[in-house]
Amino acid sequence: MSVSPYWNPKTETLSRDELQALQAHRLRKAVERAMATSVFHKRLFDEAGVGPDDIRTADDIVKLPFTTREAWMENQSSHPPFGEMAAVPSAESIRYHTTSGTSGRTPLRVLDTRTDWKWVAEMWCYGFHGFGVRPVDKVFFAFSYGTFIGFWGAHYGTEKMGCLVLPSGNMSTPNRVQLIDDLGATVVCATPTYALRLGQEAENMGLDLRGGSVERLILSGEPAGSIPASKRMIETQWGAKACDTAGMTEIGTIMMFECEHQPGGTHIIEDHFIEEVIDPETGEPLGYGEQGERVVTSFGRTAIPLIRYRSRDLVIKVPHTNCSCGRTFDVYDGGIRGRVDDMLLVRGTNVYPMAIEAIVREYPAVDEFQIYLWTRDGIRDEIAVRCEVRAGFEDQWNAVAQRLQSDLSHNIEGLGIKVELAEAGSLPRFELKAKRVKDDRVVKGASHV
Amino acid sequence: MSEAQDLLGRPLTDTEQKLMAAYETLKALLDEDLGPSERANVAEALAALWQTVNNLALTDDRPEV
Repeated sequence: MSVSPYWNPKTETLSRDELQALQAHRLRKAVERAMATSVFHKRLFDEAGVGPDDIRTADDIVKLPFTTREAWMENQSSHPPFGEMAAVPSAESIRYHTTSGTSGRTPLRVLDTRTDWKWVAEMWCYGFHGFGVRPVDKVFFAFSYGTFIGFWGAHYGTEKMGCLVLPSGNMSTPNRVQLIDDLGATVVCATPTYALRLGQEAENMGLDLRGGSVERLILSGEPAGSIPASKRMIETQWGAKACDTAGMTEIGTIMMFECEHQPGGTHIIEDHFIEEVIDPETGEPLGYGEQGERVVTSFGRTAIPLIRYRSRDLVIKVPHTNCSCGRTFDVYDGGIRGRVDDMLLVRGTNVYPMAIEAIVREYPAVDEFQIYLWTRDGIRDEIAVRCEVRAGFEDQWNAVAQRLQSDLSHNIEGLGIKVELAEAGSLPRFELKAKRVKDDRVVKGASHV
Repeated sequence: MSEAQDLLGRPLTDTEQKLMAAYETLKALLDEDLGPSERANVAEALAALWQTVNNLALTDDRPEV
């Protein structure tokens, strides 16, 4: 029997009218559930004077108010530890994950029920299967398996598909390369930057990736997966096809994936999400071909409902007909193209300048600082905090720098952040709004996973 | 008795009817007095099967297990 190229042929090929009717039905249900179970959403919708009965078509989504990360964080801070957005008690959940911290040190905390967690994996299956991954594959995860959600769902998704899953946890880069080679991995999951890093390491070790077992790379966490030059570099280095995906911790999984036809962008999983594109300034809807902010509504997670959530990601939506695969899911041309706000994405990790500032400011020895980002060897993002020492603390600097470096890494998902000494008076000072980020990277911007 | 339909108004196929019957059976099982192993594994199976009946738009029900 031939295998369908679609994970879920029934809904991946619905007519647009049927797809939108299904979205309307699921949206109405999502609003009904959220109002019944989440104090946050009940208040939000009551204040806006809307409810499930106002949803008759998918286009009625515009009647609903936006949700923002700021409101979520504020609510979580005032109602710790999970906030009023949580729709089930933590005792009924089975997973806990976090996003990066923004202001202060508190990250967003998310919960999943058993059904949610299986749905998280299910969404990854749409992507893996759609890119040609099959049960015979050996799938290697270059992923640290921490509280950051990253490839967690992908791990469980490929396990469910029947693939042989090869986790690598906290292994070193050479050990990972060796394992890929020893076990004959056919699929490698990594951030684009780390895929290149693995490739360079293989070269150093004298291993020929191009003649090796890897046929597919599943990329996530950075925009490079849809940047043609970066993608080409990765595919050439590995002698394999690279697939871009994008997701976010707030959803728990991916909401878009690149299919085997590689249309230069990512299909939106539209039977499980409604993705709108709006003008980030006015909030007005934008049409096909116009760059704007993506706003996501998810039908899959009940522990934390997410309805009209402003992602701050910049995208350009184009019709499904731009791809020849036969799916009727629309496409984000070029994947995620950048960020509306100032979040920095460094090697797949969300870094918020305010979070760094909150840590640096705990060190009285630091007089002024600057966050400096650059691209090393043409591919790798690097980040350093340049510090001027306050007079009288010079003797303590080495110890302070060491502690600060460790503190930064500990609080920002284990990211390696260098701490460098800057000459006194060399860093810019500000009278109004400070701009302490100097970003000299070749490619800036990001998605979340 | 009216013919069972999916959320799109299409009649259920034979396979879809069997999937829904399996789903309802698992759901009903959770109302019984189950031991720890039975309860955990039925809950796992129900959450897994829901992914398919949900993907196929057969129901807007959702088990909270």
